[in-house]
Amino acid sequence: MSVGRLRSALNGGLRHALAYGLAGLVVLAALYGLVFPETMVGDLLRLATSKSTLGAALRLAVPIACAAVGGIFAEKAGVINIGLEGLLIISAFTGVFVTDAVGSVFSIPGIWVGFVAGVLASTLLSLLFAVVCIKFRADQIIAGLAVWLIALGLAPFAATVVYGSVNTSSVGTLGTWTIPVLSELPFVGPVLFDASPTVYLMFLVVGGGWYVLNRTSFGRHVRASGENPKALDTAGVDVTRVRYLAITLSGVLSGIGGVGLSLGQVGQFIGNGQTMVNGKGFIAIVAYLFGNYNPLGAFGASVLFAGLDALQLRLQQIPAYAVPSSLVQTIPYVTVIVVLALVGHTRVPSAAGDHYESGED
Amino acid sequence: MSARDRIESGLRRLVAASWAERLGLSFAALVASVLVGGLIVFFSGTAATCQEPAYGVFGLTSCYNPISVYSVLVTGAFGSILSDPFNFNVALTLKETTLLIFTGLSVAVAFRAGLFNIGSQGQLIFGGLASAITVLTAGPLLTGVGGFLLVPLGVLAGALAGALYGAVPGALKAYAGANEVITTIMLNFVAEQIAFFVVSAYFAAPDSQSVETSEIPSAAVLESALFGSGSDFSIVAFVGGLVLVAGLYYLIKYTAFGFDLRTSGLQPEAARFGGVDAKRTIVSSMALSGAFAGIGGAVWVLMVLGRFQTGVPALGFDGITVSILAGNNPLGVVPAALLFGVLKSGSLAVQLSTGVPIQLVGVLRGLIILFVAMPEFFRLLGKQFVTTDREPAVATDGGEQTPTEPPSTGGTDDPGGER
Amino acid sequence: MTDAVVLDEITKRFPGVVANDAVDLTVETGSVHALLGENGAGKSTLMNVLYGLYQPEGGTIELDGEVQEFDAPRDAIDAGIGMIHQHFMLVPPMTVGENVVLGNEPTKWGGLATDRSRAREAVRELSERYGFAVDPDERVEEISVGERQRVEILKALYRGADLLILDEPTAVLTPQEVEELFDVFEELTAEGKTVLFITHKLGEAMSVADDITVLRDGENVGTVDADETSREQLAEMMVGREVVLDIETESVETGETVLDVDELTVTEEGTDQVRNVDFEIHEGEILGVAGVDGNGQAELVEALTGLRSPDEGTVTLDGENLAGVSRRGHIERGMAYIPEDRQERGLVMEFDLTENGVLGGQHTPPVGGTRIDWPSAREHASDVIETYDVRPPNPEAGAKSLSGGNQQKFLVGRELERDPGMVVATHPTRGVDVGSTEFVHDRLLALREAGVAVLLISANLAEVRGLSDRLAVMHDGEFVDVVDPDTVTEEELGLLMAGERPDEPTTTESVSADGGER
Repeated sequence: MSVGRLRSALNGGLRHALAYGLAGLVVLAALYGLVFPETMVGDLLRLATSKSTLGAALRLAVPIACAAVGGIFAEKAGVINIGLEGLLIISAFTGVFVTDAVGSVFSIPGIWVGFVAGVLASTLLSLLFAVVCIKFRADQIIAGLAVWLIALGLAPFAATVVYGSVNTSSVGTLGTWTIPVLSELPFVGPVLFDASPTVYLMFLVVGGGWYVLNRTSFGRHVRASGENPKALDTAGVDVTRVRYLAITLSGVLSGIGGVGLSLGQVGQFIGNGQTMVNGKGFIAIVAYLFGNYNPLGAFGASVLFAGLDALQLRLQQIPAYAVPSSLVQTIPYVTVIVVLALVGHTRVPSAAGDHYESGED
Repeated sequence: MSARDRIESGLRRLVAASWAERLGLSFAALVASVLVGGLIVFFSGTAATCQEPAYGVFGLTSCYNPISVYSVLVTGAFGSILSDPFNFNVALTLKETTLLIFTGLSVAVAFRAGLFNIGSQGQLIFGGLASAITVLTAGPLLTGVGGFLLVPLGVLAGALAGALYGAVPGALKAYAGANEVITTIMLNFVAEQIAFFVVSAYFAAPDSQSVETSEIPSAAVLESALFGSGSDFSIVAFVGGLVLVAGLYYLIKYTAFGFDLRTSGLQPEAARFGGVDAKRTIVSSMALSGAFAGIGGAVWVLMVLGRFQTGVPALGFDGITVSILAGNNPLGVVPAALLFGVLKSGSLAVQLSTGVPIQLVGVLRGLIILFVAMPEFFRLLGKQFVTTDREPAVATDGGEQTPTEPPSTGGTDDPGGER
Repeated sequence: MTDAVVLDEITKRFPGVVANDAVDLTVETGSVHALLGENGAGKSTLMNVLYGLYQPEGGTIELDGEVQEFDAPRDAIDAGIGMIHQHFMLVPPMTVGENVVLGNEPTKWGGLATDRSRAREAVRELSERYGFAVDPDERVEEISVGERQRVEILKALYRGADLLILDEPTAVLTPQEVEELFDVFEELTAEGKTVLFITHKLGEAMSVADDITVLRDGENVGTVDADETSREQLAEMMVGREVVLDIETESVETGETVLDVDELTVTEEGTDQVRNVDFEIHEGEILGVAGVDGNGQAELVEALTGLRSPDEGTVTLDGENLAGVSRRGHIERGMAYIPEDRQERGLVMEFDLTENGVLGGQHTPPVGGTRIDWPSAREHASDVIETYDVRPPNPEAGAKSLSGGNQQKFLVGRELERDPGMVVATHPTRGVDVGSTEFVHDRLLALREAGVAVLLISANLAEVRGLSDRLAVMHDGEFVDVVDPDTVTEEELGLLMAGERPDEPTTTESVSADGGER
């Protein structure tokens, strides 16, 4: 067998190899940790499997997974939405701001009003992105960067106008919903069924996203629009409409993610530097690439990245390991780069990035 | 053709439009951003708290008057330039301009090669850090006449560090197919954290509250001539920036490397056909891009701060706007950087006298990119508001070229005309 | 009997050209009607108007006696029109069934889910009625071109089409698959359907159509009964003058071996695109490669020209093994390459002709080097423009402002002016008008006379047969056989292109793959 053949065989199975390799490493480390609980690996295992770390991983996965599923819809429909980060930022801010400013409406608690407003803000921004990309034929990448940079400028600007600082004041979180009976289950109970409502929403987004994409005609139209828009157009389905819907959907889902971050976990908006979103929108893109455009796969990758973040946060709290926190904080980002380099050659929808206009040949 | 190539095809359109069209587009985008920015200022002013409203229209009152905001912005950027051309405000504007020339060039050169380098920020951080460490280490060794060498040494260190850090995403793209937009953004976060660690662990200034290095030796400081000390603006750095602009222009236009770079940016497939080593071109143009950003970081340390400090301002992101505004043309970077320099320095005055937060610049930064990205918008707008006999003038207003070719290349039977 | 279609004075303009100029067309119900014309005659435009993809500036469309107005393909589909485009409108990663029902998916649970079993049933039932052997669960990317075409037809039938429009349906098929397609036409008309197909091949139109309408320069030249016309009459209607249908070649003394390819294999994603290909080309010889597109020709060319490295085997040029030699190295060693895709690969569309003239030579003097000598680059471009009659004759003109034929002439000129010892030409006349085609053929023959070795790959059988000294047939990555182009019959070529090896060497006069004998 020649080198070339070997390489192409490797490329073909790379995703699997990587997934199995990672799983194998984790299992090995876990075994080692079990056998030698006194070692550092043992400590890590205890940490990684502790309820609080797992719970944190799920919580931290909310913005990534929701934005990732949104990104799948947009890209499957043929529009690369690199502005997910911006959608997360704008919804995270708006959610807090409206909760603080408006309060309860028709006896709906203020925080849920804020929640809806945050999702709405992200939806509107994604609609702007859709108009810019579809009607005004802007380059999708540049328009996506613009969406990100606009949100990155606007949220701290508005926070400063209203609160005098790039951070908002605190409005409290959505708290947790404890599901009776199920939460009593050993181990999984407290992790899965005693969680923030945004975690439940994330499960809904992931499952629903998978169903819509794979089991409904809209999902098929989305896939066709990204693979061969002309096939869809000549079959009598309005490609532009499908794309508008898909992008708007990515706005709604990212909005849930963004509000899930600010109202679900922190209770305020933090706007210095890269804001509290801190690259989660871009990590979401890598998550769905790693998950091969499958919402379930993207969810797995999101939990992986979020888990690293959760572990990193926990590690910082343990003085025994004098690993400088700033270095530990790079772990999730470096992992993202490594993953992207390993699965770089994903099968991107053929028409992703292309402008499409009916009647154009 | 892979999807990644397709992504770059939009960029081709952006690079390709003629000079006059580009100028018109940038101007129109600027005007549109200023208008939208004004609206944002007005409406945000309705939510702000102030003693008495500054501006009201249709019964809505706002704490901010958009018109006075912009007039303060301009006067704030230039001061009383007529009576004192070397006043402090002008120095501030030129300081920002100088820094933006470097990051603007950084983004532009990558763009011309078909690469979105969003990582100028991280490359600038590494360049600044390397520069500070180098002059801090070499300072005690090079005293007296040797001190003369410190500035070039610092700049060189910055360029090298930036180039190396830029080459990383270049290599990841060339050899592993990793999308450079994502990797460069991730590397920005990594650079920030590593710089924080390196400074706090090894080079922290004693007795300092912030995470920063000690002051660099005075021989390494780019002195503020003409504009008085404390202006943090060195004419030497500015001229150096202009030299780099000319150099990059020459490189792109007159050398085989520049030809390779442009061809790769416009049509990677044709570049490969023409014997361009695609991988090498990607890595070297990213390294070159990183070097420009690294020099920007060095200048920030040697001219502005006199030390390295974490929490580096977002000069790299501003560079994206500058480059896009300049049509990714090195010569256009100078006016674009000046313009953005005006925005940045003027916004300080705006915050002081009208209370509109300085973060307004961040909003405008994004808006400008958005509007430059949609020439079609201005074309349609032009059609709507201008009578037909003036249409040619509108077309240069940022409209894309109307296809002069007959659609025989795609509209009819020609099977070779598929694009 | 009513007419299925009556087009009256259809006019369609694009910026700068009139694609259809008051075209009339009448198609009888239940007939097979051919729309014949050269590339650029406006055939596809007319059909796209009929299908609602383009809105005409003038004229009316009448279907079964009723005037129709189509704003979008949806309207045309509702009116019973189905269109099978030249480039299939299929979604490759989806299954046959999913593709057939796309846009008209049967649903269940009140539209909340697609009903996949119902879709599968419908597809199976249809394909049985018309005798198509397609599996609704197979992915489109895994089936052959001929099968894909049948999926397209099924798609139209599923939508209740009575009139089927096919755009150049035979362009991608082997002669045998063409026969099968024509059988399908008969099945369809037997069921009362009407077939309207576009072609630029005289023979096809004559053999299968009942009526033939000829378009030229956007105008209807006339409709004739297929039984009462001749090839000569049709050819004259198409071109507007009498045409010579044959290419004259003189025999040339062949010399030393220029290119020697040994056991070449190119692999992509685990499958062999090119498998154990062996051949030699000599000075003053043209080796043609015939075959249906997508049988490894593109990969073979890339491996020969240095765009990719072979996985196994060697390529030797003038005695030098090219393993590890870069694409630039290939250019510097005198290999010219006319790529099939001029707008993607051969020319940079945003560059002017001066800059395009530099492409490939940017690293070598006199024009290239470290610094590019623009004045002499301009001169070089002007020379190519003059010699190859490129219009407009302006080196500052942007490549994208040129017509396809002129782009091709400039590209051919640039490559051939490199003073090559070896030329690889792929589909050198695809999409080029008749005059330019003749010109390109003349240049290739002139090179052959000058002792250059030429590898010619073309989907146009007449072209490869007319120009080549030896003709290799490629199928599924292999050279099935190398034959004498002057004695091989169309039927034999068709079998070879379909991958069937001749059992007895006597049926085809086989020429040794390495020999240059003629």
